[in-house]
Amino acid sequence: MPHRAHPIRELPARIFLAVLLGVGAAAPLAAAPVPLPPLVQPATSEHHVGKVIWVDLVTPNLSAAEHFYAGLFGWTFREIHSRSTDYAVALLDGRPVCGLIEHAAPAGEHRQPGWLTFIAVSDVDATHQLIVQQGGQVLAAPHSYPQRGRQAVFTDPQGAVFAVLASTSGDPPDVLASPGEWIWSSLITRDPGTAAAFYQSLFGYEVFDSSDEAASEHLILSTEDYARASVNGLPENTGHHHPHWLNFVRVLDTEQMTVTATQLGGRVLVEPRVDRHGGKVAVVADPFGAPFGLLEWPESQSKEDMQ
Amino acid sequence: MKRALFPGLTAALAIALLTLLPGCVAGGGGYYEGGGVDVTYGADFYEPWGYEYGGWGPGYWVGPARGGHRRPDWGGRAPPAYRPAAPSRSMPSIPSRSRSR
Repeated sequence: MPHRAHPIRELPARIFLAVLLGVGAAAPLAAAPVPLPPLVQPATSEHHVGKVIWVDLVTPNLSAAEHFYAGLFGWTFREIHSRSTDYAVALLDGRPVCGLIEHAAPAGEHRQPGWLTFIAVSDVDATHQLIVQQGGQVLAAPHSYPQRGRQAVFTDPQGAVFAVLASTSGDPPDVLASPGEWIWSSLITRDPGTAAAFYQSLFGYEVFDSSDEAASEHLILSTEDYARASVNGLPENTGHHHPHWLNFVRVLDTEQMTVTATQLGGRVLVEPRVDRHGGKVAVVADPFGAPFGLLEWPESQSKEDMQ
Repeated sequence: MKRALFPGLTAALAIALLTLLPGCVAGGGGYYEGGGVDVTYGADFYEPWGYEYGGWGPGYWVGPARGGHRRPDWGGRAPPAYRPAAPSRSMPSIPSRSRSR
């Protein structure tokens, strides 16, 4: 008669096996990178090195940030959770426009939330080497996210934080941003000329001096015959400042948007003012202090549209 | 013949270890990582403190120019650290093409 194990005696082993297999199966899932969605859907072969193609907000309160930006720009959100990261993709008319990450501020450090600027590259690792050679510092080493692409985060030699991204789904097309989409980026830094040289060495920018006054440098960084960003000097007589990238959302009415931002718990850092192109710009901070710009760009005044 | 106390336990341990192992080594790349078991998003950090706005006086422009903006001539300036665009190049603007729907 064949031996048959006693069911009661085998029970602990079976439970142990089930628990181990369950934990074992879950562990790789927990270890998987945050499943960030692709930048462009459907994927294209477009690549625009030097273009600002994405921004991510780091915030201590994701749901409150979503409420603020939904009220201001009409963004909707698709939340993505991993074991240690709560991330939301902001959408406008179904298109991804940016990401929001919940992360508590480091304890005991006086730091502030901000929008992180991602600039397109074709080779993150080569750019990483170049940045280190040119005096930049690595904040997050190159890392691949399966659908998003490969990215890394740095500070430039003057301390401004930025990221580079080689998107696996291609870069967003060169079209005029719709209201509620990011339209422009400015690097505000201590020495604009030296900063422009640094970024030129990374992204091959053409650099145009657009200053109206010799004392106030305003440089335009360009690739593929499109302006991609400006480099500005930190305004004088500001006691507490740090070089940084500032990104602008296109709006139809800057004045009204600053009112709305204030009603939603934000505050105005730079009151609406007419910029060179004829539209108004302003700088506001969200309820947690992350600054961003508002920029009017009336289509009817576009030179190409008038032709 | 001596009987094992928990039949199949050795096999269960081996399977579990093989399954757990990739989870332990898959970490890496996150700026704030959770001990190599979980990978956080590599951009979840805070900026240095110190944005103070103000002092944006007249002539402090930040936005893009409209296409064809005349480039200023700062002949008296020292050569810049960057390579300036060729004088023949007109200053570009942002894309104006509408998104095709």
